[in-house]
Amino acid sequence: MDSNKKYWKGLEELNKTPEFVEKNKHEFAEPIPIEDVLSGNGLMGKTPRRDFLKAVGFGVGAVTLAACQKVPVHKSIPYLIKPEEVTPGVANYYSSTYDGHAILVKTREGRPIKIEGNPNDLLSKGGLSAQAQASVLDLYDVNRLKNPMKGTTEYEWNEIDAFVIRELAAIKTSGKQIRIVSSTVHSPSTLAVIADFIAQYPTTKHINYDAVSYTGIIQANQNSFGKAILPHYRFDKADVIVSFGADFLGSWISPTEFTTQYVQNRNNKSLQSKKMSRHIQFETGMSLTGTNADVRIPIKASEEGVALVNLYNAIAGTTLPGTKKLANNSANNAIILAAKELEAAKGKALVVAGSNDVATQVLVNAINSLLGSYGTTIDMDNYSNQYAGNDAEFVEFINEIKRGDVDAVFFLNANPAYDYFNSKDITDALAKVRLKVSFSDHKDETTSLCNVIAPNHYYLESWGDDNIIEGYYTVLQPTINPVYNTRQAEQSLLVWSDAPVKEYYTYVRNNWDKNLLAKGGLSGQKGWETLLQTGFIKVADKPAGIYSFTRDLNAVAGTILAQSDQLVASGDKKMELQLYKSVAMQDGKRANNPWLQELPDPVSKVTWDNFAALSLTDFKKLNLNEGDVITIDANGYSIALPVLLQPGQAEGTISVALGYGRTMAGPVGDGVGKNAFPFRKFRNGTLQSTNVVTIGATEDNIILAQTQTHHSYEGRNVIRETVLKDYVKDPYHGTGHTTEHKAYKSLWNEYQRPTYNWVMAIDLNACTGCGACVVACNAENNVPVVGRDEVRRRREMHWIRIDRYYSFNEAGTTVTEEKEIGKLDNLNNVSVVHQPMLCQHCDHAPCETVCPVLATVHSSEGLNHMAYNRCVGTRYCANNCPYKVRRFNWFNYWNDSRFENYIQNEHTLLVLNPDVTTRFRGVMEKCSMCIQRIQAGKLKAKIEKRPLKDGDVKVACQQTCPANAIVFGNGNDPESEVSKALRSERTYYVLEELGVQPGIGYQVKVRNRTELEA
Amino acid sequence: MRSISLIFKQFSRSVLLVAGFAVWGFSAQAQGDAAKGEALFKTKCTTCHKIDVRLTGPALGPTIASETDDKWLTHWIQNNQALIAAKDPKALAIYNQYNQQAMTVFTELSDADAGNIIAYVRDDWKKMQSAKPAAGAPGAATAAAVDNGPSDLVIYGLIAVIVIAFIVILVLNKVIATLERLLLNKRGLLPEEPEVTEEHEPVDRLAILKKIAKNKKLVFFILLCGTIALGSWTWVSLWNTNVHTGYQPVQPIKFPHDLHAGVMKINCQYCHSGAYKSKNASIPSLNVCMNCHKVVKTESPEIHKIYDALGYDSQTQKYDSTKAKPIQWVRIHNLPDFAYFNHSQHVKVAGLKCQQCHGPVETMKEVYQYSPLTMKWCIQCHKRTDVNMKGNAYYEKMVAVHELIKRNGRVTEAMMGGIECGKCHY
Repeated sequence: MDSNKKYWKGLEELNKTPEFVEKNKHEFAEPIPIEDVLSGNGLMGKTPRRDFLKAVGFGVGAVTLAACQKVPVHKSIPYLIKPEEVTPGVANYYSSTYDGHAILVKTREGRPIKIEGNPNDLLSKGGLSAQAQASVLDLYDVNRLKNPMKGTTEYEWNEIDAFVIRELAAIKTSGKQIRIVSSTVHSPSTLAVIADFIAQYPTTKHINYDAVSYTGIIQANQNSFGKAILPHYRFDKADVIVSFGADFLGSWISPTEFTTQYVQNRNNKSLQSKKMSRHIQFETGMSLTGTNADVRIPIKASEEGVALVNLYNAIAGTTLPGTKKLANNSANNAIILAAKELEAAKGKALVVAGSNDVATQVLVNAINSLLGSYGTTIDMDNYSNQYAGNDAEFVEFINEIKRGDVDAVFFLNANPAYDYFNSKDITDALAKVRLKVSFSDHKDETTSLCNVIAPNHYYLESWGDDNIIEGYYTVLQPTINPVYNTRQAEQSLLVWSDAPVKEYYTYVRNNWDKNLLAKGGLSGQKGWETLLQTGFIKVADKPAGIYSFTRDLNAVAGTILAQSDQLVASGDKKMELQLYKSVAMQDGKRANNPWLQELPDPVSKVTWDNFAALSLTDFKKLNLNEGDVITIDANGYSIALPVLLQPGQAEGTISVALGYGRTMAGPVGDGVGKNAFPFRKFRNGTLQSTNVVTIGATEDNIILAQTQTHHSYEGRNVIRETVLKDYVKDPYHGTGHTTEHKAYKSLWNEYQRPTYNWVMAIDLNACTGCGACVVACNAENNVPVVGRDEVRRRREMHWIRIDRYYSFNEAGTTVTEEKEIGKLDNLNNVSVVHQPMLCQHCDHAPCETVCPVLATVHSSEGLNHMAYNRCVGTRYCANNCPYKVRRFNWFNYWNDSRFENYIQNEHTLLVLNPDVTTRFRGVMEKCSMCIQRIQAGKLKAKIEKRPLKDGDVKVACQQTCPANAIVFGNGNDPESEVSKALRSERTYYVLEELGVQPGIGYQVKVRNRTELEA
Repeated sequence: MRSISLIFKQFSRSVLLVAGFAVWGFSAQAQGDAAKGEALFKTKCTTCHKIDVRLTGPALGPTIASETDDKWLTHWIQNNQALIAAKDPKALAIYNQYNQQAMTVFTELSDADAGNIIAYVRDDWKKMQSAKPAAGAPGAATAAAVDNGPSDLVIYGLIAVIVIAFIVILVLNKVIATLERLLLNKRGLLPEEPEVTEEHEPVDRLAILKKIAKNKKLVFFILLCGTIALGSWTWVSLWNTNVHTGYQPVQPIKFPHDLHAGVMKINCQYCHSGAYKSKNASIPSLNVCMNCHKVVKTESPEIHKIYDALGYDSQTQKYDSTKAKPIQWVRIHNLPDFAYFNHSQHVKVAGLKCQQCHGPVETMKEVYQYSPLTMKWCIQCHKRTDVNMKGNAYYEKMVAVHELIKRNGRVTEAMMGGIECGKCHY
């Protein structure tokens, strides 16, 4: 081993706190009190014999009674008239659209049970986000509205229609204003419906309202180039990426697509040609993107603008008025370095900023123009339609209501009463509106203020289309009959505007026949059917134009610097607050989804909560301990949140996730975390996510349900990394071996794997840690949700977890453990590795040898089988697993009222994969390598009388990975993708030295970093 | 009720036959040739028409008997579309009455052919009419006779009464005997001798037993036999707990597999179509039944259960989905949830016959569970059965498999990993 670099998951591990050491001695957080029983009163009691006999008697009686139960009579109820396309037991796949990405919906017996990426999707090549994976569960949410409502009473649709039409007619006569407030609509047909509605009611205006908008970028493009659009960023074309607080892999604009693009220059294929993009990130809190950056510089929110001005100066060779250096010297150096590298990569460089400030984005445009990014890494002609919201427009909308101009408001997929920064303003204003209609299918914060609720179909029940990137049109088709008495919002609008076509399906069809099919070279019924099968059409890209920035920047710089000054926190209890969308929760619209709530945050590994992330310096300064609750106060709003020590957090700043603290999301999402939207600030015409806050101490301490240190390797080194320079010199660098794998002596006989040897390759350099695989696995394998309390007891059930390791950045030299502990100040300069960890399917599996009942055994295909019904729950296997990937069912999660709110209720049980059993209390479970998919793939080949091809079997985590970091296949086939991937020089096996012969090979993480900047 | 209708049917059939032959002579001389007409009727008309009952089209007997205008009828038969197009009022009325379903056009039929068909229908209808009253009377009589049979309740009640009566008699006898003995005792008249003899005999018997007990070998042998018998009984009953071979629940519809699969030789996959492509063999949906039973045995009360379930009205031939209620069959073959079984794997790939696991279904009046469906049973079969590789390219390139074949001469399912836990338990 050529590196003794120390990796740690959490500070408790780094510092070896007594609790951590103690907890790690035990496999399970709460050991069974055998010792107490043996040493205490257990055997000394007065009548242990009698008690024993009583217990035995009762036990025998109870067991006998239970066994006397008659065998239940099972009913088989066939279809009355079976739909032709349905074969019970065989899944159907329908192409559809999630958020503009082409997807496939897997249905069984008419119910959607899994979302898969459409491999032909142009944006993410079959990859999907955790949100998309989790979206199928929301279909079965029992808290969806079941009928249209007026006030709090349920009505029939015709009554609602009559009422709304009457009201609209009255409003039309009075000449008062009508407003449709929606989150950005990028469906051509929906936009056409809204246009038709406006034609019928000319006082109507459509307002796009995004919870977190990109007004800054859109306005800046209007100012700079006269095009008020969100450009299509092309990270795949960028060799040098510099990001200022833009979390483009986690939450910025189109993270799934950007992940696919970004990884193309960093994956195995790129490295084979000795090429790797370089990514420098300046940011306040540690974001998912920051963890993947080659160089990450923590800067305060107030310094972001200053840093950008400096970068411009360095590239343009000028000095804008008011320029000042940053307080942080390493940041200053980094900016000069970044400027140099950007200039060197002209035409292949990209600078992005997460700020929603127009002036800041204008400056970014100027920088990109200097770097020649327009036409290469930024496409302004095939632009993005994903976000069109304008913050000022919404402010004006509230003013209009206050003036009494507006008599009708329609809310479509918008929830301003929760996510507007001044929700009281909108709540009060709405009281003045005569007709308030919500299309929400949940009684959420805004809907509860409305007098008419016309619940919309869920997207899996809807017809429609989408167009998030100009020229890329996807189609949405229903995969299930409406579960409740809901109606598609577009259809409601058509009915209310008395349109000639009231059926929305016909409307969509007409719209495609007339306007869109021809664009994809299709026509007529046949064309439509082709579209429904392929899922999308693509118009040839327009040539991306070159835009040059010519405006004067002096005023812009002045605005930026003035705003930066406003953000500087001066005073004792003042700190800079940065708000961010968390990867799992995003803007909080899916807060009622237990899969997302239990998905550990990629960086902090916290589940079921948001928190205030602070740096170590501030921890010391404020004398805080992990989990201490502090109050945060700004904009006349105050919340109390537990603190979390976040390595890499800029000093003097707090980061808080948005999307939590819903009050009317449903039983899962209500009261989880605190709402941070009110801390946003309206500045320079846009809503910004930075603010100055006052903090205060409280007496409370909350234990966060954090999974980061739950599965310990006892300090063994499982991570290997290298830097690009060394990799180019020696591709084996950092793997711990020089040419080929060392043969370890084995205690066991070799297993025969005559036909298949299922193995996996995981590229640590491609994995961004987004967590989509975790949710995909949950959906595929019926993994239960356990809830916050159980996660605190280290009982999360995820079969695949993503371990996040921190390590210190030290200039060029390797650092030993002893040195590091003394250097805790370096905590804001750490680098991060994400490592997906799942059952390694060891050929000499330690779990197999200790199982007393042979419940876990080896297969002739290189898999480690787990027979649940054979397991008696000794948990020896979990003890003996060096990778800590076995999960124990502490409860009967599928039939226990304590877990009712999560997945276990009569509706949500419908999402279960019928090919995988649910596990009972008291048995062990673990990753099965999606054996149901392997078996199904083999069977399909057998039925079609052909050999099994590489790629026929894709496991769930692999299928959804937008970075394509996971490759699975037959290791016996030298031509399979996985064999090729494992032949990479970078391949190493985790804990190979134990001789367990793991079946999953990892590829070494490579950082494109020189010694200078670290 | 079922039996009544069956008897009625049999009766009416035979009477019909006799009556048919009787009328044969007359009808032959009618305007058309009824014999020729019958042949034509059977080839051209029976897909949509019956003489006495409505099918897709009207019941022809009453319709044609009441319609006297033969010329019009001939036109209609030859080209009903032309009549409808010409807005003939009668034609339009029928067209509208039958949901504007167009009747097939038979321009190939000559006037004489049409005449023959009309003649046949009229004759046949007449025969039916005359047969009906004759059949009605005895049918009713038998029905009454059958109906008079004692019900189950009565029989059980009688048995219970008899049993109770016996018990009463026995108890009374005992009481009488006791009373008599008491009476004799009181009078001191009870003879002493019998008591002595009674005591002697048991002493003798006990002596024999004691003698036997002294033979240790014999005792040991008996005990051993007992233990073995008890043990093996326990062993067998424990192993067969929850094994339901022979399970034959009562089904909501008495579907006779022996008739469908046995006599009619309908392929299993015609109804259980999933067996070839899915893990479920699947119970057929009712529209599969209706493929035949829209026409076949429409009068059977069991078939009417299908109609009821579908909300189908056999008179109007219309479906009313609001009245539909699915049939709840009782599942016979219950595998536990934790065992994955796929029919297509066994039927399509391995080429097994259904009977191998389900037994002689073609002889079962009502289906019962034939195989134990235990894991042992599965594994035994997997160990004994050779993999069906013939003509399946899937196995072609499995070099290792070929090596196995060379070595052992055969490749069983178990050798291919068919008895590994994870192949069925996931």
